[in-house]
Amino acid sequence: MASITVNRTIITTIITTTMTITTTTDDALYRLLTWLSPAYPVGAYTYSHGLETAVEEGRVKDRAALIDYVSTALLIGAGRVDGALLVAAFHAAMVEDDATLDSVAVLAAAWRGSAELALESMAQGTAFTSVTLAAWPSPRLAAFAARHPRRLAHPVAFGAAAACHGLPLLPSVTGWLAGFAANLVSAGVRLVPLGQTDGQVATAALETSVHQAAAAAIAADLEEVGTAAPMLDLLSMRHETQYTRLFRS
Amino acid sequence: MLMPMPADVPATVLHQRAHGAFRVVFGCSARGTVLRDLHQAAPLRILFPQPEPGEPPLAALLNCAGGLAGGDQLEQSIKLEAGATATLSTAAAEKVYRSLGPMTRVATDIVLGAGATFEWLPQETILFDGARLQRRFAVELGAGAALLATEILVFGRGARGEIWRQGLLRDGWSLTGPEGLLWIDRQVLSPEAMAAPFGGVGAEAMGMLIVAAPGAEAARDLLRSLPDVGMHITGAFTLPRPGFLLGRWMGRAAAVRRAVEQAIVALRTMQGLPPRLPRLWTS
Repeated sequence: MASITVNRTIITTIITTTMTITTTTDDALYRLLTWLSPAYPVGAYTYSHGLETAVEEGRVKDRAALIDYVSTALLIGAGRVDGALLVAAFHAAMVEDDATLDSVAVLAAAWRGSAELALESMAQGTAFTSVTLAAWPSPRLAAFAARHPRRLAHPVAFGAAAACHGLPLLPSVTGWLAGFAANLVSAGVRLVPLGQTDGQVATAALETSVHQAAAAAIAADLEEVGTAAPMLDLLSMRHETQYTRLFRS
Repeated sequence: MLMPMPADVPATVLHQRAHGAFRVVFGCSARGTVLRDLHQAAPLRILFPQPEPGEPPLAALLNCAGGLAGGDQLEQSIKLEAGATATLSTAAAEKVYRSLGPMTRVATDIVLGAGATFEWLPQETILFDGARLQRRFAVELGAGAALLATEILVFGRGARGEIWRQGLLRDGWSLTGPEGLLWIDRQVLSPEAMAAPFGGVGAEAMGMLIVAAPGAEAARDLLRSLPDVGMHITGAFTLPRPGFLLGRWMGRAAAVRRAVEQAIVALRTMQGLPPRLPRLWTS
């Protein structure tokens, strides 16, 4: 019985993915894959989102705990708020509502739980904006960036860029959250440490959480959304005074 | 003098919806900080005990109903005009009773004029099993204004072996400075999330501290230098933005309270205030 359910889930996922890709134009797919690639120069690999402290304190010792950490971050941590902010920025940029887009940018910059979580999001947002404007010029994105110099959180910069380039919303938010998750898994592989295959097993196990987080982001009301992971904030705060650190967060 | 708190609330009171409120305005005169305006609506009352030497005026907040039930609402407003200094504390821990469904709502608005200094130092808020609490805490800071705010949330009556197994907490904070939105945080905590390994980790209590003031960087370093208060607590301090310090603790209720007390005393020393807790915390 259980195996049948699992098989159905897998089949459904494959169909969903296939449909998604077929609704994406070739240009959009190419940009999405490029902007979300670990090779895109935003410095993602230097951030662990507090995971380095969780490993140091013995809270993440194996693959199962790593999956739990990343899933928590996706569903009730920063992923919950950043997903909602990404979607809000996307919608505002899509209809060229600059006032709303600006207020989302201000909200996102203020909605950071620690100095290092602020650095993680703002530095990546700034780098993403700069390189994207250089390689894929967009007057609308350029105007938005000029109104918030170095003050765009990564999800807001990404959501606005996706809308300005006509990328579809669901793959954009799913992709961004998948990138966030994969980056944390990569940090975990280096920190725990785990084997490369173990890391990909973790990434595969997180697939459902990424889809749930994306669906929650699209359904979110920015006036109501919130986090439920005080320990993740606390771990990030404790990272600031950790004696040995490889990561910037 | 303060009135003694009622020991407990009769069950009949719990089914009425209270709509309490207060509004306090402090101004600054040649005599120092003075009370400019006061409105209060039951069950909230504010008393002004004679401050001890060296202490700013103290607003002592009382909930005469003894606690809050589902559907109860409180609207709390404090304004300090430019240059005024004041402290607000509570006479006892606030109790939030089990709700049959409706949220208990508490909205607090604080407006600080230029150069005003305000301490928001209530004692614990205790969520009984089944409590459903929605809080909104909004601060507007004028140029050079200073805020010290602490909050302690206790999940269940630990002394009775009670755990917060059902309920909901929605806790929203926002701070706005002269240059716009400074910080926002919104937590939507369920008992399930509070028990999760990277959620609330089963903590009995959470403490929070905010310093929005020139000199927040020095305050962070001072707080980091304080001794540990015990094994059953974890805490840390950060500056999400320049000039804005955030501290958090999670752990046993008694340890969280000790840590918050120690932080208040240390920060008061730094501000040139007497190095002690508001008298309400110790009497």
